[in-house]
Amino acid sequence: MPKSQFISPEEIRKSGTLSFQDIDLNKYNKTIEEEKANFSNDDFMRIYRDMAYIREFETMLYLIKTTSEYNGVAYNNPGPAHLSMGQEASAVGQAYHLGIDDFIFGSHRSHGEIIAKGLSAIEKLDDAQLYDIMKNFLGGKILKIVEKDQKSTKELAIDFLLYGALAEIFARDTGFHEGLGGSMHCFFLPFGIYPNNAIVGGSATVAAGAALFKKVNNKNGICISNIGDGAMGRGPVWEAMNFAAMDQYTKLWEEAYKGGLPVIFNFFNNSYGMGGQTYGETMAYGILARVGAGVTPTQMYSERVDGYNPLAVIDAMRRKIDIIKENKGPVLLDTVTYRIAGHSPSDSSSYRTQEEIQAWEEQDVLKAYSAKLIDAKVADNDAFESIKETIKERITKICAMAADETISPRMDLFKTPDAIEKIMFSNEKIEKMEDRPVDVNMPMEENPRVQAIAKKERWGFDANGKPVSKNKVYQLRDGLFEAIIDKFYKDPTLITYGEDVRDWGGAYAVYRGLTEALPYHRLFNAPISESAIVGTAVGYAMAGGRAIVELMYCDFIGCAGDEIFNQLAKWQSMSAGLLKMPVVVRVSVGSKYGAQHSQDWTSLCSAIPGLKCVFPVTPYDAKGLMNAALAGTDPVIFFESQRVYDIGEQFHEGGVPEGYYEVEIGEPDIKKQGSDITILTVGSTLYTALKAAKELEEKYNISAEVIDARSIVPFNYEKVIESVKKTGKILLASDAVDRGSVLKTMASNIAELAFDYLDAPPVVVGSRNWITPAYELEQHFFPQADWIIDAIHERIMPIAGYTPVRNFTDGERIRREKLGV
Amino acid sequence: MATPVIMPRQGQSVESCIITKWQKQPGDTVAVGDVLFTYETDKATFDEKAKVEGELLAVFFEEGDDVECLLNVCVIGAKGESFAEFDPKNGASETAEAAAEPAKEEKAEVAAVEAVAVPVVAGEKIKISPRAKNLAETTGADLRYAEASGPNGRVIERDVRKLIAEGKTVSAAAKNEYVAAGKDIIGTGLGGMISTADLNATAEVAPVAAAPVAAATAVDFGECEEVKLPNIRKVISRQMHASLSEMAQLTLNSSFDATEIMAYRAKIKDAREKLGLANITLNDIILYAVSRVLPNHKDLNAYFYEDKMVYFKHVNLGVAVDTPRGLMVPTVFGADTMSLSEISANSKKLQDEAKAGTINPDLLKGGTFTVTNLGSLGVESFTPVINPPQTGILGVDNITTRIKMVGGEIKPYQAMGLSLTFDHRALDGAPAAKFLSDLVNALENFTLLLAK
Repeated sequence: MPKSQFISPEEIRKSGTLSFQDIDLNKYNKTIEEEKANFSNDDFMRIYRDMAYIREFETMLYLIKTTSEYNGVAYNNPGPAHLSMGQEASAVGQAYHLGIDDFIFGSHRSHGEIIAKGLSAIEKLDDAQLYDIMKNFLGGKILKIVEKDQKSTKELAIDFLLYGALAEIFARDTGFHEGLGGSMHCFFLPFGIYPNNAIVGGSATVAAGAALFKKVNNKNGICISNIGDGAMGRGPVWEAMNFAAMDQYTKLWEEAYKGGLPVIFNFFNNSYGMGGQTYGETMAYGILARVGAGVTPTQMYSERVDGYNPLAVIDAMRRKIDIIKENKGPVLLDTVTYRIAGHSPSDSSSYRTQEEIQAWEEQDVLKAYSAKLIDAKVADNDAFESIKETIKERITKICAMAADETISPRMDLFKTPDAIEKIMFSNEKIEKMEDRPVDVNMPMEENPRVQAIAKKERWGFDANGKPVSKNKVYQLRDGLFEAIIDKFYKDPTLITYGEDVRDWGGAYAVYRGLTEALPYHRLFNAPISESAIVGTAVGYAMAGGRAIVELMYCDFIGCAGDEIFNQLAKWQSMSAGLLKMPVVVRVSVGSKYGAQHSQDWTSLCSAIPGLKCVFPVTPYDAKGLMNAALAGTDPVIFFESQRVYDIGEQFHEGGVPEGYYEVEIGEPDIKKQGSDITILTVGSTLYTALKAAKELEEKYNISAEVIDARSIVPFNYEKVIESVKKTGKILLASDAVDRGSVLKTMASNIAELAFDYLDAPPVVVGSRNWITPAYELEQHFFPQADWIIDAIHERIMPIAGYTPVRNFTDGERIRREKLGV
Repeated sequence: MATPVIMPRQGQSVESCIITKWQKQPGDTVAVGDVLFTYETDKATFDEKAKVEGELLAVFFEEGDDVECLLNVCVIGAKGESFAEFDPKNGASETAEAAAEPAKEEKAEVAAVEAVAVPVVAGEKIKISPRAKNLAETTGADLRYAEASGPNGRVIERDVRKLIAEGKTVSAAAKNEYVAAGKDIIGTGLGGMISTADLNATAEVAPVAAAPVAAATAVDFGECEEVKLPNIRKVISRQMHASLSEMAQLTLNSSFDATEIMAYRAKIKDAREKLGLANITLNDIILYAVSRVLPNHKDLNAYFYEDKMVYFKHVNLGVAVDTPRGLMVPTVFGADTMSLSEISANSKKLQDEAKAGTINPDLLKGGTFTVTNLGSLGVESFTPVINPPQTGILGVDNITTRIKMVGGEIKPYQAMGLSLTFDHRALDGAPAAKFLSDLVNALENFTLLLAK
């Protein structure tokens, strides 16, 4: 809470009434004659043409799915096809005024939006621009295929658009992203067509994040989240709408950045979420447009638009774009429509009647629109027939090309087995995502935190080898701060947000000093909306920026599950490497705070391909790994431990360097040399292991080598294997619960890689498969030094004269596993 | 009375704070709410405000000092009031020190669980870590003597290191045997446990529990020592017991006039140095005689199985040897084809290697008949135990002086006893006795036998 705002008891407790404005429902009622002032005959006809393209494209897919044939072209498509016959007018109407700087983000049912937005872009771009885009995209791979016939650039571009999308849907290497996205994740960035999303409502936070990028970095254009009415049932959508509309944009952000995010939350409201009827069954809003009134005092300028009339949608979009240009976003649109086809071709429409479908077919968007144009004498029936004929011919040609294995091969994973492997991470080093001056409040050397750190001891011990007091020693949190502030002064696109990061300085004082250094638009408090925090960062990075977001507690990963696991982790690879994802998600592993605030979820995150995971626990490693994470272009889940924010550097001789350096992600570090047993740790268990190593050495003459994993994904086993070859024994320990721990994966890999050298199976010591109990009981839950020695004694190498404290026997393991505890 | 101002504790984890600035100086008048000093933790900066009014009488710390939380930092009071009693540097902070002393943890006495070495033969298969196995292979450590100190009776690296340190290794040739764990090896000689493979093939013996001797034992044994059995002893005991419990063994005793072989041996002994002859022992002579007589008694140069007999053309003679590790039975292969001096040289070499522990395990198996000699230890007669699936074993007894009637005169002579144990399942008493009498005849006319 900023001090500049006063929470007045008088104001808060005042009696009164909250009133709402009326929300318009389908108010558009212009005739074609009236609209002739706004549209030429060509415009009218092009709107029809675009809708007809969508109709034919979707019909083609429907026939391919259900009959394995379209117009003589045989093809079997096992992949998904969520078709949008009936929704053409809403897609074309929306795209009509949009330029390539305007980004749309779709859903599983977004083929129509791709075609509409693509055709709109082709209409607006000149030939040279169009040709450049096609020539430069994927090295001209798609252009070469469609360029064979002589035709105008615009015609060529239409072939390019339809072919690129269809080849993507058919999982061809010649698709827009080499077939790795497919039907539900298709997109084409040069036309402002951003990823569609197979998670219902997934685009809401992502679109808001792209809008945040536009706002923070002064970019033109707006963003649109195209999601369905079913998506209103999803929390992240509500989070995104609030995030896009936070009070601080108007009340706290600097003058040049005032106003909500330039984003339209557009709901293509076809009344069904798969088979569940939203209106009347699963939702409570009655009319979807109502929701806007619950989010902001502006009611999100919400209205219901008739998505069965392209001109009504065009009219609404024009007005809404103007609102956003006045920095009054976000906007909510309830674009009512109806899908004639099922949710997917396997849908038997058991949840709706034929009468209902027929009633909507009678008002079919193409028929109704062409009839109106004929009435208004814009064109005669033949003109429409001719358009349909041309389109059918073109779609047949495109379908034949996309279905042809020789023209449109698939990715050959025998010939290039690393084709997917090499795009799981982009592994680039980019110092700044854009080259321009950074927006900061003061020179870095004037920053009070920077000055305070300058006085600290960068090595954890004094001349006599005694630990330097906590207040005087350079702490782990200082290492994080140094890396982060350094990047803020280099990369103008870098922003950071999360819960309580401004003013408070972050719950663990890592950001203390950043408030002074940075304007609001680069450092701000997010709502308690973990989905929105991560999802917007995904959109921010997609649009070209770099972000650090903080979730405060590791446990809150659960609240942002989809955004971390399905969005952050997957877009680089689903885009065949076209998108970069330079996002660092800081999560803090707690202790003392019980079951919902003390979990080490490295195992969870490392189980999802596409995420890098690091867990530094020394100031040197924290700074070096944060520098590396911020220099890269990959998503990094950056684990921190609340046990060690205040710890000084005990390993890197000479202390933490003042200058810039990186610790390579993926490289473990030997923190203590030894010869008899190897102990590999993840997280702050390092210090527990060192304590155990000390006791082993002093009491039992056993020399332990202690290795700090530092990174979990990627991870270089070479150093560990070398150590195991030497010692023949390895124990792995971390605070993660034992079952499903990533240490088990590591242990299994080590057993495979060093089997002949092992004197005992690799043994994992993790936390119990319980809730985390109260702080006073934690010694029974988290691995302790004596547990480590117990496990060595019981499972690796009985120690003469040692009496174990805990039970690590076979019988005990079987008993616990039997009980699932 | 003056009021001390303490360094507040800002949060449970904060142990001390640094005074960054004194906003009031001693002698200054202080009103309630005035900022006395600014201080910081590693996370944040705070102002400490006066809660009472008066004069700032004294400050106990300087700017920049790192002050333990809850210590008195300054004193506010009426002018002239005493304040020294509040100075934390005066009056030993006994309580703090007492608190600083770590509480002695009282560990519950748990019954000591010692690391107990378990003999490796505890189960069907030797339990050994890959690392220990590799080490044994490369160093030739003799795993028969390994005492498993790893979890669950597993032989681990340190157990192999111990073997090496104690010199318990086998020859390079023998090493290979240890790799072929699980290979089925037949007859390894009387009590001869020769390779880990042998170990693996043998029936299980209940694991030796590390259970202490029952405390309830009432009998007073006086002083005694409990020693774990080495592996070889366990194998011998198992094989001996199996032999006696599964076979129908009986022993025939006889003796022969050793005059001729003794004379023969004496002759060789005299001529040895001059002619460079090998040192032929009485035992060698007996081995030679057995090797020549046995082919005529095929039931004793054979293996008996439940449903069949295997007869051997040649004689592979097992020779029981007492070694520091226990009984071993190396084999003189093809003894029936060897000359006396060859048998002698061969058996001497085998006995030496067995005693040294360097013998190739291949030479500890494959015998078709066994000779064991306790005569040199003064045994007059005994019951040797057959090494299955052999059908007989010849015990050689000591030499005693006996008398016999020669031409009506009582004449003393040197008699040597022979104890033949045979498996009545394989052959009957008469054929066994016939072998014994043929052997007696051959030995009493040894020079004739040599001439054959």
